[in-house]
Amino acid sequence: MPSLSLLAQGLALGVLTGGVYALLASGLTLYFGVMRVVMVAHPAFLFLAAYITYFLHAVTGMDPLLTAVITVPLFFLLGVGIQRVLVARIPQESLAMMSVLLTFSLALLIEGGLGYVATGSYRSITVDYATTSLHLFGVAFPYDRLIGFGLAAATFIAIFAVLRLTRLGKALRATIQHPDAARLVGIDTAKVTGIGFGIGLATAALGGAVLSIIDPFFPAAHWDYIGKLMAIIVVGGLGSVRGAAIAALILGTIEAVVQVSGGATEAGLMFYAFLFATLLLRPQGFFGGRLAERF
Amino acid sequence: MSTLSAKGLRKSFGGVVAVDGADLDLHEGRINGLIGPNGSGKTTLFNIVTGMIKADSGTVRLGGTEVTGWSPHRIAHAGLGRTFQLCRVFPRLTVMENMLVSLRRPRLRDILGGLTSKADVEVAMGWLERVGLDHLAGTDARDLSYGQQKLLELAAVLMADPQLILLDEPAGGVNPALIDRIGDLVRDLNAEGRTFLIVEHNMAMVMSLCQHIIVFDRGRPIAAGPPAEIQSDPRVLEAYLGV
Amino acid sequence: MPNASSVRSPAPTALPHLPRSVPLRIGLGLLLVLLLAYPWIAPGGYLRYAGVLVVMYAVLSTSWSMVGGFTGYVSLGHAAFFGLGAYATGIGVVTLGLPHAAAFVLGVLVVAVFAAVAGLAAVRARGASFVIVTIAMVTMLSLLAQDMTWLTGGSAGLQVPGAVAGISRTGNHALFFYLFTVLLLFALLTWWFIDRSRYGAGLKAIREDEEKAEALGVPTTAYKVAALTVSAAFTGAAGGLYAMWFGNLDPIFVFSLVLGSSMVLMALLGGSRYLLGPTLGAFVVAPANEYFLTQHGESQLHIILSGALLFVVVLFMPEGVIPAVQRALRRFRPQSASIREQTQQELHESRGAAT
Repeated sequence: MPSLSLLAQGLALGVLTGGVYALLASGLTLYFGVMRVVMVAHPAFLFLAAYITYFLHAVTGMDPLLTAVITVPLFFLLGVGIQRVLVARIPQESLAMMSVLLTFSLALLIEGGLGYVATGSYRSITVDYATTSLHLFGVAFPYDRLIGFGLAAATFIAIFAVLRLTRLGKALRATIQHPDAARLVGIDTAKVTGIGFGIGLATAALGGAVLSIIDPFFPAAHWDYIGKLMAIIVVGGLGSVRGAAIAALILGTIEAVVQVSGGATEAGLMFYAFLFATLLLRPQGFFGGRLAERF
Repeated sequence: MSTLSAKGLRKSFGGVVAVDGADLDLHEGRINGLIGPNGSGKTTLFNIVTGMIKADSGTVRLGGTEVTGWSPHRIAHAGLGRTFQLCRVFPRLTVMENMLVSLRRPRLRDILGGLTSKADVEVAMGWLERVGLDHLAGTDARDLSYGQQKLLELAAVLMADPQLILLDEPAGGVNPALIDRIGDLVRDLNAEGRTFLIVEHNMAMVMSLCQHIIVFDRGRPIAAGPPAEIQSDPRVLEAYLGV
Repeated sequence: MPNASSVRSPAPTALPHLPRSVPLRIGLGLLLVLLLAYPWIAPGGYLRYAGVLVVMYAVLSTSWSMVGGFTGYVSLGHAAFFGLGAYATGIGVVTLGLPHAAAFVLGVLVVAVFAAVAGLAAVRARGASFVIVTIAMVTMLSLLAQDMTWLTGGSAGLQVPGAVAGISRTGNHALFFYLFTVLLLFALLTWWFIDRSRYGAGLKAIREDEEKAEALGVPTTAYKVAALTVSAAFTGAAGGLYAMWFGNLDPIFVFSLVLGSSMVLMALLGGSRYLLGPTLGAFVVAPANEYFLTQHGESQLHIILSGALLFVVVLFMPEGVIPAVQRALRRFRPQSASIREQTQQELHESRGAAT
C-alpha cells in the first residue's frame, strides 16, 4: 500500500494529465459529432504539431507555447481541408468504416513522414519555467503540467462557450444532432462540418505544443494515445464533449493513481477495463449523448 | 382468435410521447388498415410490435405467445414479417440472395445449407415468379427499378412464410398500375389465410383493400371498424381535418 | 412487367460460384502449381523466407475478409488474434512442454474463445464502437505481453524451439511454406463455403442493412460473433504457425496496429468481397513491403508507402482491383451487360412514371 502522500501526488498528477486528455478527446468528439468519423490520426497530428513546435523553437528560439499562434490556425485550415477534400468524398453508406481507414492512412503517412524527416529518435524541449514545481500541502505540482492543464482547461471552456453561446455553436450542435433537419432550417451543414473538423484538429495543434514541453516524443509514440483516447470517448458517450471531458479527468486520475500504487501496465489496462465495462453495461456511454445509442 | 394483440403500449422519445397507451387487436385472416395523420405514432407502433424498439410499457402477444421485449429476429421466426416505409433491399446482393436471407427457423442445417440447396431455391423461385421477378434472379438488387425493389422486398418477407404481414406504405412512390398489382397480391395472399396490417396514406387503396380499419391519432386508436363506417365517423374527420 | 415465366433463367446463375470460364480455371490451376513449386524455384534462403511471409499474409487477409468482406465491419485489431495465437502456441511449447501440434491446437482454441468473448462486447455497439474495440484489443494485449515477462519473455521476446529438430534453415522455410499454403487453401475453402451458404447471405445482408436483416429473421448478433470467431481462429492459426516457424516473438511486432492495417489494405486492394481478392492483395503488397523494408528499412519509406497505398485504395477503389478488372473485361463481352442496361432503362421509366 503506497503512502498517503504518494497517493495525493498521484491524484494531483492524474488530474493534471486528465486535463490534457480532455483537450485531446474534445477534438475527437467533435469529429465524431459532426461527421460520425472516428479520427484515428488525431494523435498522429498531435505529434506532428509537437515536431513543428520543436523545429520552430529550435530554429527561431520561439517559446514552445507561443508557437501555437502559428500551428493552431494552420491546423484549423488543415482540418477544414481534410474534411472538405478527403472525408467528404467517402460515400455516406460506408462512411463509418472507411473514414477510420482513411484517417489511419493519414496517421501512417504522418508517422512515416516524421520518421523520414526527423528520424525515429526521441526529442524533447526543455524550457526553464517548466522544470520546477509548485509545492502545495506537501504535494508537488510540476509547472509544465500546470501550464498544460491551464491551457487545456481554457481551450475546453472556449470550445464549450462557442458551442453553447454562439450562432456557429448552435449550427454545430444542430448539425451534430440532426444533419437533415439542420439543412432544412437553412444551416450550411457542409461548411459547419468543415469548421467542426478544423476546430477538432486545432486542439491537436495546441495539445502538441503542451506535449512538447511535458514529455519526450518520437514519431511512433502516437500509437500509445490512440487506444487511451478511444476508450475515453466511448466511456464518455460518443459525440458528447462534456462526457468526454469528465471521462478524461476520471480515467486520467485513475491511471495516475494506479500507476503509483500498482504499475504502468495496470494503469494502461484501466482504460480498456473501463472501455469493455462501458460497452457491456451501458453502450451509450456513462456521461453522454444519445448519439451513441445509434452508433 | 387474434393474431396480434397489444395492450397499453407507451413509448416516448425525450419529451415527445409517440405512442400513448395504445391497445390493438387484430383478428386472424383479415386485411387490416392502420391510418392516421402524420406523427400519430403508426410507424412507432410498427417498430414496437416488430421488436425494433422497446416500448416503455405495455405488452405484445403474437398468436397467444407473449413476445414483449423479444429481439426482431425471434419475432420474425414467430411468424411476423414486415416491409419498410422507404423500400429496403440489400443493394449489392443478387435478387436470389436477397430471398435467401430470410430464415423461417434458424436451424443449423438451414443456415449452413448451400444457396444451391434445391428446395430453398425452388421456394424462392416460386415467390419470385409470383411477383414477376423470376427472370431477374441473378441481377443485383441495386439494378432493379424502384417498383421491382418493392416487389422483391415483399417476396423476401414471404420467403419466411409469415402468418402476419405488416406493410408500411406499400403504395408509396409507385405508379398506379403497380399499386393495383400489389393490391391484388395482398388479396391473394389473404385468401391463403395470411393476416395483414397495412399503414397507408393512399385512401383509395385502403378503403378498397382493407376489411377492417383502425384510426390512430396522437399515439392511440380513436376509432375502428369497416371502411364504410370509418369514412363517416366524425372523430376521424376531426383527427384528419383538425376541426 | 413481363409475366411470362417461361423465360425463367436457370437458378444457379443467381449464385456465387467458382470461375466458370475455362481460361480462368486453367490460369488458376497454373498459379496453384507455381505456388506449390515455389520453394524449388527459389532455393535461396531469403527468397524462401519472403515466400513464407507472402503466403502468411494471404492467410491473414483472407481471414480478415471473413469479417470485413462479408459483414462490412472493419477490424483494425486482427493483429490481436494473430499475436494471441502465436503466444499461446509458443507458451504451449515452451512453458507447458506440449508437442508442437498440440500447442498449435491450443493456440487456435484460445484465440477462438477470446474472439467470441471480445466479439460479444464489440458487436453490441455498431459501427464506430466496433473499430474502437478492435483497436483496444491490440493495445491491451501488447501491454500485457510486454508486462507478463515470466510468461511471455516481455520485450526481450519469446524463443520458440523449431518444430523439427535438426532441420536446416532453408528446409524449415520450405516446410512452413507448405504448412501456410495448406492453411491458405483451408481458409479459402471456408470462405467459399460461407459465401455459398445462407449464413453467408445473412452476413452480407448485415453489411448492406443490419436492421433489415434482423427484421427478416437473421440473428445478427450470433452471426457476427460467429463470423468474428471463425475469422479469428484462422488468424490465430497463422499466428501459431508463425511462432513455430519464426521462433522468436516480439510483442511490438505481433501486437501492432500496423500489422492489422496491412491485412485490411491487402484485402481491400484485391477486393474483400471476392474469394481470391485478399490473396491477390497479399501477393502484391507483401513483396512490395518486404522490398522496401530490406532496401530502405531505416528510412520509414515502407510506412509512408503503406499509408499512401491505403489512402488511394480507400478513396479511389474501395471495392478493390477485381471489380475494376471485371468492368474492363465486360466491355469485351457485350451480351453479359444487357440485363443491367435494360433494368437501368426500366428504372428510368418507372421514375418518370412515378413523378
